[in-house]
Amino acid sequence: MLAPKRVKFRKRFKGRTKGMATSANTVAFGHYGLMSLEPGWITNRQIEAARVALTREMKRGGKVWIRLFPDKPITKKPAETRMGKGKGNPEGWVAVVKPGRVMLELEGIEEPAARTALALAAAKLPLKSKFVRREER
Amino acid sequence: MAQVVSLLANLRTTTGKGAARQARFRGEVPAVIYGHGRETQALSVGAKALEKALTGVEPESTIIELAVDGKKTRALIREIQRHPVRPDIIHVDFYEIHAEEKVKLKVPVRLVGSPDGVRNAGGVLDQVTREVEIEVLPENIPDRVELDVTALKIGDSLHVRDLRISNATILTQDDLTIATVVPPRAEEVVAPAPEAAAEVAEPELIRKVREGEEEEGEGEVEGKAEAKPEAKAKPEKAEKPEKPKGGKES
Repeated sequence: MLAPKRVKFRKRFKGRTKGMATSANTVAFGHYGLMSLEPGWITNRQIEAARVALTREMKRGGKVWIRLFPDKPITKKPAETRMGKGKGNPEGWVAVVKPGRVMLELEGIEEPAARTALALAAAKLPLKSKFVRREER
Repeated sequence: MAQVVSLLANLRTTTGKGAARQARFRGEVPAVIYGHGRETQALSVGAKALEKALTGVEPESTIIELAVDGKKTRALIREIQRHPVRPDIIHVDFYEIHAEEKVKLKVPVRLVGSPDGVRNAGGVLDQVTREVEIEVLPENIPDRVELDVTALKIGDSLHVRDLRISNATILTQDDLTIATVVPPRAEEVVAPAPEAAAEVAEPELIRKVREGEEEEGEGEVEGKAEAKPEAKAKPEKAEKPEKPKGGKES
């Protein structure tokens, strides 16, 4: 699963996601893509699940680009713990996604097959998304 | 030869994001024209007319015959800004050209045919470079550059030096790869899920950890083990003052 090798700080503030994606908002590598339509966090498990769904559907053909990297640590307090006593322990990693972000890209397969594969991948992600082609948005 | 498309534009006197937003609300697209030593002018074009003009053409290599207040000017599109989510065009840059002056522009590269490595060996055609920069006279601007890939086998590549564009100088580096046929991916073997312990493993810190912080971190871990009996003992004391509050609320 995707995770950073080295980080500067173990824990990070939660933050608020404002605005739209100013980078990675066009299909840059492949021919088809999956664009997010709402903001949110995508965990490394969800990215892996989407990748597996995508590659299984595509079997051996095509090429896939994952344009997300979960670089934000998420903490969690242990079960049955009272509030306070500081921030919890790092439990996972998420990628922060804004609307307009092209999350996955494909090349080397026909459009109907690409639509099916990306729909399966989209079902593994916690955001609304749409299929995009290189020419149009 | 590049296609020529006519478009009507109006001079725009107001600038800034407020005026631009109002123009978009009215169904216009803010635009700007510059180049060939002319002063930069703010324009606006009809959104529907612009979309229609750009349908079915390669925007970067299409000559736009722009009528600005009745005066006709030939221009290329230098940049199209689009909304991050919707397909709307939010701004256009026009670059004025003259017939006797060479222009630098990017033209799209289109691959023609199905490679041998894809048809017979199940490879995947990967187009690495999708446009090349050329210098050319406006009358010789090609609509697109076509490259035949039918002979490519697995592992073969085509480079910028394989392109032939008449009456134009290619400015992009010669050795840049345009397309390659990559071998098919190996069947994915589903590895057994690693234990949760591997997942929790924290990455190394880039910065140096100060002594005080280390102690704090250790203290947290130790503190939790020790804190449990305290936490059990505390509620009895804490609950008493809380009760009256709950009573007031109810």
